Amino acid sequence: MNAAVLPFLLPLFTGTLTLFLGKPGTARRAFLVASALVQLGVAAWLIAENLAGRPHVLLAGGWASAVGITLVADLLAAIMVALSSLTALAAVLFTCFESRPRLEHPLRLPLVQFMVAGINLAFLTGDLFNLFVAFEIMLIASYALLTLEADDWDIKQAYPYLAINLVGSTLFICAAGLAYGLFGTLNFAGIITRAADMSGDPRILVLALLLLVVFGTKAGLFPLYYWLPNSYPILPAALAGLYSGMLTKVGVYVLLRMFATVLPHDLSGVHQLIAWLAGLTMVLAVMGALSRNFIRGILSFHILSQIGFMALAIGLFTPLSIAACIFYVIHHIIVKASLFLVGGVATVLNRTDDLDRMGHLWRGTPWVGIVFLCQGLSLAGIPPLSGFWGKYLIIVEGLRAGEYILIGASLVASLLTLLSMLKIWLAAFWSEPEGVAVRVDDWRWRPLLGVVGGLTVLSLGIGFGAEAVMQVALRAAQAALDQPGYVELVLGAGGKGGG
Amino acid sequence: MIGPRSWIFQVVVRFAFFIINVFALYLLLRGHNQPGGGFIAGLASAAALILLSLAIGIEALHRLIRVDPVRMAAGGLLLALLSGAGPMLGGAAFLTQFNWHLHDLPLLGELHVGTPLVFDFGVYLVVIGICAKIIFVLVESTEGLPGLVVEEERRYSSPLEEPIEERPAAGKEMGRDAD
Repeated sequence: MNAAVLPFLLPLFTGTLTLFLGKPGTARRAFLVASALVQLGVAAWLIAENLAGRPHVLLAGGWASAVGITLVADLLAAIMVALSSLTALAAVLFTCFESRPRLEHPLRLPLVQFMVAGINLAFLTGDLFNLFVAFEIMLIASYALLTLEADDWDIKQAYPYLAINLVGSTLFICAAGLAYGLFGTLNFAGIITRAADMSGDPRILVLALLLLVVFGTKAGLFPLYYWLPNSYPILPAALAGLYSGMLTKVGVYVLLRMFATVLPHDLSGVHQLIAWLAGLTMVLAVMGALSRNFIRGILSFHILSQIGFMALAIGLFTPLSIAACIFYVIHHIIVKASLFLVGGVATVLNRTDDLDRMGHLWRGTPWVGIVFLCQGLSLAGIPPLSGFWGKYLIIVEGLRAGEYILIGASLVASLLTLLSMLKIWLAAFWSEPEGVAVRVDDWRWRPLLGVVGGLTVLSLGIGFGAEAVMQVALRAAQAALDQPGYVELVLGAGGKGGG
Repeated sequence: MIGPRSWIFQVVVRFAFFIINVFALYLLLRGHNQPGGGFIAGLASAAALILLSLAIGIEALHRLIRVDPVRMAAGGLLLALLSGAGPMLGGAAFLTQFNWHLHDLPLLGELHVGTPLVFDFGVYLVVIGICAKIIFVLVESTEGLPGLVVEEERRYSSPLEEPIEERPAAGKEMGRDAD
C-alpha cells in the first residue's frame, strides 16, 4: 500500500539528509549514488508489480479518495518513475565523474533530489491540486538549479523560464478552481465519475482547453515554447540531461493522463487541436535547431520538435497511438538525456561546445563518436534504433486516421532532425580544423563516457527489443484509457470518511 | 546601520519579541482543529526575528541565534517527513495520524496530543528557517555585508563561484546613517 509513496519520499529524505552531510565528499557522493540506485530498484519493482496485475494505491492518512489525497502507481506512472530515477542516477553519476568533490557545488545534488521528488509526485498523484503541489516542488527546485551555477548572462536567459512558468502555475491554479467548481472534487476518480453525467457540457471543453494551455506550456508546445530553447543551454551537461529528459516530459505525461484518463473521451475537437499544434511544433522547432551553432542549443530545440511527435500521438487519440506515445516517451527520455551527456563529454574533450571551434573527435576518441551516432540516428528515427519504432507507429496511426498533412510534416521534421544531427557530426567529429586539440589526457572523459554508454546500451536494447517494450506500452495505454478501471481501483482502496 | 536605533524602539522590540513568540506558540498548538498551525506560527516567529534584527542589528542577531537557518529548515522538513513516514513502519498508511486524549495531568488537566503536532512543528521550523534565510540575505545585502556568513559559505557556495555582493572596502561605508 505504502509503496506508491516511496518514489516521492526517498528522494525527499535523501535531499534533506544530504543538507546535513556537509561539504561534498566521497562519502556524501556514495550515499547519493546508493540512494539513486535504491530509487531505481523501487521503480523497477513497481513496474513488476503492475505487470503482475497489482497496481498500488495509497490513500494518504487512510482517508478515502473523496476527502483525502490518493497516490496511484499504475503501469504508466511506474514507467515514468523508473525513467526519472534512471535519468537522476545518470545525472548524479555524471556530476560525480565530472569534477572532484572539492569543486562540486554543495547544493546541486540535494536540489536534484528535491526536483526528482516533485517529478515523481507529479507522476503518482491522483488529485489535481496535489498535482499542482508536485509541479511547484519540481519548478522551485528547477529554478534554483537553473541559476545555481549561472553567471549574469545565464541568469538573464533563465528569466523567461521563470516568468512563463509562473504564469503557467497561475493558470493551473485557476484551472483547478474551475474544475472544483464544476465537479465538486479534485480527485481524478471523482472527476471521472462526475464528468460522465455531464457529457457535452461546454464548461468541460473550457476546462480542457485551459488545461491544454497550462500543460502545453510546461511541455513546450507551439506557440508556448519560447522559454525553453534559450534557458536550457545554460545548464551544465549533467543537469541538462535531467532537465531535457524529464521536465518537459512531465508536461507530456500530464497531458496524456488528463486527456486519456481524467477528462471524457469525446473531446475530439481538442484532440484535433493538439494534433495540429503538435505538427507546427515539430516543424518550427526543428528549423530552430538548424539555426543554432552550438551543441546544447541544437539539442534544446530538438526537445521541442520531439515533443511534437508525442503530442501528435496524443492528438490522434487511438489506443495504439497512446501506446506509441508511451513508447516514444520511453525512447526519447533515454536518448535525449544521453545526447546532452555525450555533448558534455565532447565539451570536456574540446573545452567548448561551439561547433566552429570543435573537431578531431572521431579520430581522437572514436567511441564518443559511436555513442553519438547511435543516439543521434535514433533521434532521427533510423531503423532498427529505438526512435524508428515510435515514429513508425505514430505514422501508421496517422495514415489510418487520414491526417496526411500532419504525417508529411512529421516526415519533414525527421529529415531535418537528421540534417541537424549531421551538422553536429560533421563539425565536432568529422572536421579536422587547425588549432583545435582533443584533450584525451583529461582523466574525466572515460568514466563520463561510461555513464552515457550505459544509457546507450539501454536505448539499443529498446530498439532491438521493441516488441517487448511495445507490449508493456500497450498495457500501460490500456490501463491509462480504462476510466472505469481507474475509478474502481481508487474507490476499491476504501479508506475512512468517504461518503 | 538601518532602522531607527532609538532606545524606545529597542526596548519595545525586546519585549515584543517574546510576546509575538508566545502568540506564535499559541497559534501552533491550537492549529489542529482551529485556525492556526505550523505555517502561520512560523510566519509570526519569523516576523519577530525580523523586528529583532532591526533593533539589535543583523550581526548581533547572528551571534545570538547561532543556528544556520537552512539547517533549521532542513531539520523541520525531516521532522515533518518522519511524522508522516513513521506510521509506515507499523503498516499504516503514509501520514496516518495518532491522537491521545490525556486526563488528570498535573497543572494542565485535560490534554489532546497527537502526531499532527509533530508535523506542524516541522512546518513551523521550515517556515522560520526559510523566512529567516531570505530576510537575512536581503538585509545583509542592503547593509553591504556578505550574504553568507563564513561558515555558511563553506557549506552552500561553490569554490568556483564569485560572491554576488562585493565585500565593502574598509571605510567605504563610513558616514552612512549617521543618526
